[in-house]
Amino acid sequence: MCNAGPPVEAFPLRQASSRKDSRPRQRDPVISVRLLLTLLLLLRPVSLPAQALPLPADHAARMKAGTALFTASIRPVLLEQCLDCHGGEKTRAGFSLASRESLLAGGDSGPAIDSSSPPRSLLLALLRHEEEPFMPAKKPRLPDATLEAFQRWIELGVPYDRPLVESASKPAEMTVTDADRAFWSFRPLAVPADPNPGSPRNPDHFLAEARAAAGVTPNPEADRRTLARRAALSLTGLPPAPGVLEAFLADSRPDAWPRFVDSLLASPAFGEHQARQWMDVARFAESSGFEQDYDRPSAYHYRDFLIRAFNQDLPWDRFTAWQVAGDELAPGEPLALQATGFLSAGVFPTQLTEAEFESARYDELDDMVGTTSVAFLGLSIGCARCHDHKYDPIPARDYYALAATFATAIRTETEIEFAPELHRARLAPWEARERELAAALAVHETSLAPAFGSWLRAPDRPGITAPSVWQVLEPVSLTARDGTTFTPQADGSQLATNPAPAREEYTVEVAVAAGSTALRLETLTHPSLPRQGPGRAPNGNFALGDLVVTSRPSVHPEARPVPLKLVAARATHQQNTGSLSVASAIDADPQSSGWAVDSGGIGRDQAAVFSWGTPLATDSRLTIRMRFQVNGQHSPGRIRLSSTADATAPPGTGDGVPGPLASALDRLAKAGPDALSPDQTSVLRRAWLATDPGWKQRDAALQAHRSVRPRPDLRPVMICSEGLPPLKHHADGRGYPHFYPQVHVLERGDPKRKKEVASAGFPQVLLRDGASPADWQVPPSQGARTSHRRATLARWLTDPERGSGHLLARVAVNRIWQQHFGRGLVATPNDFGFQGSRPSHPALLDWLATEFIAHGWSTKHLHRLILRSDAWRQAPDHHPANAARDPDNLLLWRFPSRRLSAEAIRDSLLAVSGLLDPTPFGPGSLDESMRRRSLYFTVKRSRLPNVMVVFDWPEHVVSIGLRPSTTVAPQALYFMNSPEARRYAEALAARSNGSLDAVYRFALQRSPAPEERDAATAFLTSQTRHHHSPRAAELALADFCQALLASNEFLHLP
Amino acid sequence: MMPSPPSRRALLHRAGAGAGLLGLATLFQDQHLLAAPDPLAPRQPHLPARAKRVIWIFINGGPSQVDTWDHKPALARHDGQELAGFDKFTGFFANAVGGVMKSPFEFRPRGRCGKMVSEIFPHLGEHVDKMAFIHSGHTESNNHSPALFAMNCGLPRMGLPCAGSWITYGLGSESRDLPAFVVMSDPLDRGLPKGNASNWSAGFLPGVYQGTWLKPKGAPIDNLLPPPNLPPAAQRDQLDLLARLNRSHRDAHPGDPDLDARIQSYELAYRMQATAPETLDLSRESEATKRLYGLDQPHCRHFATQCLTARRLVERGVRFVQIYSGGMENQRSWDGHSDIKGNHSQFAGETDQPVAALLQDLHQRGLLEDTLVLWCGEFGRLPVAQKGAKPGRDHNPHCFTAWLAGGGIKGGVSHGQSDELGHKAAVDKVTVHDLHATVLHLLGLDHEKLTYVYNGRRFRLTDVAGHVIRPILA
Repeated sequence: MCNAGPPVEAFPLRQASSRKDSRPRQRDPVISVRLLLTLLLLLRPVSLPAQALPLPADHAARMKAGTALFTASIRPVLLEQCLDCHGGEKTRAGFSLASRESLLAGGDSGPAIDSSSPPRSLLLALLRHEEEPFMPAKKPRLPDATLEAFQRWIELGVPYDRPLVESASKPAEMTVTDADRAFWSFRPLAVPADPNPGSPRNPDHFLAEARAAAGVTPNPEADRRTLARRAALSLTGLPPAPGVLEAFLADSRPDAWPRFVDSLLASPAFGEHQARQWMDVARFAESSGFEQDYDRPSAYHYRDFLIRAFNQDLPWDRFTAWQVAGDELAPGEPLALQATGFLSAGVFPTQLTEAEFESARYDELDDMVGTTSVAFLGLSIGCARCHDHKYDPIPARDYYALAATFATAIRTETEIEFAPELHRARLAPWEARERELAAALAVHETSLAPAFGSWLRAPDRPGITAPSVWQVLEPVSLTARDGTTFTPQADGSQLATNPAPAREEYTVEVAVAAGSTALRLETLTHPSLPRQGPGRAPNGNFALGDLVVTSRPSVHPEARPVPLKLVAARATHQQNTGSLSVASAIDADPQSSGWAVDSGGIGRDQAAVFSWGTPLATDSRLTIRMRFQVNGQHSPGRIRLSSTADATAPPGTGDGVPGPLASALDRLAKAGPDALSPDQTSVLRRAWLATDPGWKQRDAALQAHRSVRPRPDLRPVMICSEGLPPLKHHADGRGYPHFYPQVHVLERGDPKRKKEVASAGFPQVLLRDGASPADWQVPPSQGARTSHRRATLARWLTDPERGSGHLLARVAVNRIWQQHFGRGLVATPNDFGFQGSRPSHPALLDWLATEFIAHGWSTKHLHRLILRSDAWRQAPDHHPANAARDPDNLLLWRFPSRRLSAEAIRDSLLAVSGLLDPTPFGPGSLDESMRRRSLYFTVKRSRLPNVMVVFDWPEHVVSIGLRPSTTVAPQALYFMNSPEARRYAEALAARSNGSLDAVYRFALQRSPAPEERDAATAFLTSQTRHHHSPRAAELALADFCQALLASNEFLHLP
Repeated sequence: MMPSPPSRRALLHRAGAGAGLLGLATLFQDQHLLAAPDPLAPRQPHLPARAKRVIWIFINGGPSQVDTWDHKPALARHDGQELAGFDKFTGFFANAVGGVMKSPFEFRPRGRCGKMVSEIFPHLGEHVDKMAFIHSGHTESNNHSPALFAMNCGLPRMGLPCAGSWITYGLGSESRDLPAFVVMSDPLDRGLPKGNASNWSAGFLPGVYQGTWLKPKGAPIDNLLPPPNLPPAAQRDQLDLLARLNRSHRDAHPGDPDLDARIQSYELAYRMQATAPETLDLSRESEATKRLYGLDQPHCRHFATQCLTARRLVERGVRFVQIYSGGMENQRSWDGHSDIKGNHSQFAGETDQPVAALLQDLHQRGLLEDTLVLWCGEFGRLPVAQKGAKPGRDHNPHCFTAWLAGGGIKGGVSHGQSDELGHKAAVDKVTVHDLHATVLHLLGLDHEKLTYVYNGRRFRLTDVAGHVIRPILA
């Protein structure tokens, strides 16, 4: 986000090595001009490169003006008059002006530039011919205007747009030192020794001492009802279900509390609530953003991964590694692939102009680098895109090393089989049954062999074909424009055997006899087709946009084909009588109208007859072209063509003798069985068998069984990977390449100003004791599709011993602590750098992180630790004495009650009114009135649900570590006037059957106090009078429920 | 028992600033901006303000500078000639680049200042002495949504707060019962500006600072009207009951100002129910006023309605109003890729009289003194033709014209120049950041001090740039 700055070199120069400690660098861009002037005065007469100064307020503007001046007026002079002797071919007097650095370094005569007093600069004196040697050497003095430009340029800080000689550039890069690594968050975990090693440690031990020192006394434990409600809302985002609370209150076992907490942790709702919180951090959404905001319909699998991961207590190190490189680390594990949705969830402007291609890709890499580093490490590495980080020890080249890690990573879609074990379990009995049926058919066929033999030789053998006016046509050739492949079937039909392309065109050539007047196209079902066909679209439909026939005499195959005008079309079924009628297959419009067969025709054989009126004069070759462009994948899956001379033949299916059978019968009749070829015998045998009722029955049973073969649950899943076809979008039409194999270090983040190629690596500040990225390298196997750079990153991220796993753990436990206390031990969950907060209780943070790692990175373990602590279980009561000593409650002397999140509010409303639909997983919804939990709202960036936004839902564009919690009028309007709020109130009233006790129990999990009961009763009486309706009492109770559901008690974590 | 005053940290969080500001107390220099529990409470700006509120007429799709306010006689002289050295990737359609094209419109001097104005603005031409023109505007992207984001939010990216949000964050709201920041989009089914609601998004600022979009159809604000089966007296009694429940809950839980804030929020919402419909009800205006805006003219009635609504909003203390002329792209907005003459005639016709009336009406009521009116789009258009049956003009990020009028603006001046053909900004170039810095300055906000810390970085509307355009200040 810093790339809009003016294109100048860093100013002022920094001397990184002068930093001795790990304090934030004092380079605050928001600083007054007066302060700057004061500093300049204090520093006189020190010349420029000596000291890193605060940036002046108008720094950017000065640089811009200076650079413009340099480009227009200075650079040409330097190139033409000076460079040859000073930094070009020669460097006279040890003075080079090839780059800003060398200019500032001065030469044998000392500094050339005096920043404190620009007019006194040696460079100017030489150019003005005030001092010798006059410059430019042996040339006339430069014009006054040029000299003035030089002075102005020096006043502006001598900016260069780029060095005059590329190799001369030696930027004063930031160096990262062990002093930088000593900053608290980068240090290894350190836990003070346990003063009481006898008993297990808990968070309270760490708080007790500080509280005592501050004279602050924690509250006593809250009552059990409050605790149960608090725990349920905190862990699952829902109030305790009726009965659950009562069971807990009645549980007198000493370990009732841990048992209750464990039951919440085991609830499926736990994973849903936790997933939703991580979705904020992961800036997860299901659309691309920008102007088209295209949907990403297979992105929801990432959300489902999160739910499963939290419910399964997936260790946090694996949770992390899979989100960064699941496709490389566990390619066979669907959850690991789903996890990479983390990287692909960012926004992307699908409409791009050529001028934007490269910057769009660098923006996309920035999103991956920025989100990964903020989410897992709490580091704002993205700030180092344009220059070395202003506050943290992160040089720009560290940023580009991370960007290079993602260089070839793209958003793509893969098909994943869900629940394969379920599929296998279903397939096994199906296969057994298929074997049985096939065996039964085979046995029956064998038993019929003698009868077939007798038939063949019988002089008056009975016919085996039904009479038909249709002659089934063998294709002379059959081609498909977009790749469909066909397999011929016994009945003369052609079965398409691969998935349907988006658009298709079949061309068939057939030979027909003289006298033919019509052509029949059968579109036939088959067990392999979607919904058995006859079409190949997912709904079993097809749409024949047009059918065109050309003809030439068979004796003159070289003749120019002439169009055969089709005059009539009839069909067994048509989807409607308009744009999807059979007639529309021979209209002039192949694109938007055509013959289709849904609305009653799916799963059944269909046929259409096209006639041309005048019988053909000679035997002819017909070329039939069929186009399927009306709708995606709408081509037929099994086709058969026939011809007839009967102009009135109705469009039936299944009849007609296929060519091979006709010729075999002919041969049998003319020459007897001994003249048959083996193929002909086989064709006859197949046809003869079909006349046997027993065979037909067994064959039908087998075919029917085959049509219900269990299919694997295959679903497209949006992932991030390498070497797969990228997810297509708008800009593909202009040739957007999706990625560039190499990432360059960019000057000022500008893709037009590339520096060296960056190689993958990690931030140096998190590489201790001489470690190098190679130590974690995962070499790609022979022929690997991916680079394994991300796998390498993942190993380092999760390595607590030598990598950055210690920081990963700190950031993770802090997020969980924040979830329970409203504020993290580090109050800036996404910033553990210099600009961020320092931990309020560093030892506690490190102890929690250590515990976390020691217990297999289990988040459930952390939740247990926290929910068992006194700090969490105490009452929320306010005490002025404590508040005076610790107004921010940093010492946790009270439980910080606070408003629930948008999701918890809406989900609680649904739950207490009995309307909640608990269906987990799967595609989400944009319908604001849906009744599933709020994490099943489809996150479409341009259509965020109003109810969520009103309660501080984030934008889902950048990582959010902590949502604001506001109290504004639109929230009040939601409770007062929205149809949903009214619906919840009415449902709650209805399920309470007029009982105030029930209303309170459902809504607040308690009984009304006597004065509340009195107030409510009085309200109901007077409110009933407002409603002039037979349902007045019901409506009054709904009014009461609506108020209760809008109350602070309902909206706040107790 | 009196609750102790909430700590600054608690205040910051409640102000919705928690994500950005917690732990940064020592670095944050503008504490007064957030030292109130109500995130929308009015706040004193850094500097003396010349304007208190803004009405931004957004000329959506990119108006052509050379056909509106930037008169270029040279275009006629070079009409039809190829523009030497022209980069065909400047606009959106690299394969439809034609020759230089003169403006299809006549220009004539208007006002005391004699500003040359296109014939498509007969009414607005009357007000040039109130306007300061910027002819040297330029931006980064040649593509609608990034350019819209830049114009609204500072950079051609998603996820940043827009100017209206920054201003509301900086100044709060003068109105207690209307939204502080209101956006109106095209009501004629031509769609939203590209990038949709991201154009009035609060980005990483708390959501309370995002623009309230007045829906062009149906109830303009969500949940503004009570449910049909709840009579007014019944709702009043219901709210009284709720207040009673909340008060006794608060008394049992002292020390949490949030609980009080919610009690107040219901009363505020109750008042909004009455105020907002009254504000949006134009029937209360005189016939003369309605005619002035053009409410009786079918071709501009929709925009007249929005401009008059804008006046009623600012009159009642709304801080920032943005009205989009046209929706989406091509013929649905000022995006005149084809038939620049027809396109600009149409959209100028829709807006000319209403915007002129707005200026006049604000002036008559003394509101123009401290109301800033801004007219600009996301970029300009090219001096060369986009080829077609009726030629148009393609996108031009290198040059656009904007004008400002009202609070703190010197009228009748023109700042900056484009080159001879109006192709590129040439003299005193103005960036989008400069424009934003100037708007903030007029409102009394120092664009370098209006900051928000998010994920480790201090953000500004003007990123790391921006200069107040002083020559146009009164």
